[in-house]
Amino acid sequence: MKNKLKVYRAMHNLTQEQLADKIGVSRQTVIAIENDKYLPSLGLAFKIARLFKVKVEEIFTYQEDDKDE
Amino acid sequence: MDRKKYRQLRIAVAFFVGMIVSIAVTKDSYLLAVAAVLTGMIFMILVRVKAKIRTDERELTIQEKAARLTYAIFAPTIGIASFLLLLPSKGGIDVFSKGEWLYIESLGMVFAYLTLFLIIIYAISYHFFNRKYGGGGNEK
Repeated sequence: MKNKLKVYRAMHNLTQEQLADKIGVSRQTVIAIENDKYLPSLGLAFKIARLFKVKVEEIFTYQEDDKDE
Repeated sequence: MDRKKYRQLRIAVAFFVGMIVSIAVTKDSYLLAVAAVLTGMIFMILVRVKAKIRTDERELTIQEKAARLTYAIFAPTIGIASFLLLLPSKGGIDVFSKGEWLYIESLGMVFAYLTLFLIIIYAISYHFFNRKYGGGGNEK
């Protein structure tokens, strides 16, 4: 899974801390998502997409070689 | 209060509780040690609720994985340990030959019951969560 969270965050002039507060997670979680270390749940992915007013698939892209974990 | 301040406060409280517990233990006042630990726990729970510190989903995932790994390591270890301790090896090792094997056997029994308890808890919680997340039914 690839994501453009960093790009969208920069486009909206948000710091990691601010984004974390807006979506109700810790800053470490935002960092982990941006670095592709952690896959967010569907709920969180939708929350992020709704915050940036885009579709989920515009931020998160599924790749065939992705593992389930 | 943000997460950083909460973390600093948690370290400070842990430090003070540790200090009081060590003083209490050296003075043989176990009541004070228990009181210190309980006070620290209650204080941290209250601060956590007041500061609205939430456990986010990544933390939960980490906790789930850590719990799974702990179970995967602990259950077989304690199970095998109980089996080995309960083996009738009175004549084998020196420590068993002096009649002390009885204590070892008791320890083995405790371990065996602990293993059973662990497995039962796992089975019950598995059943509960399986039901909670829609499993277990035959409805179409």
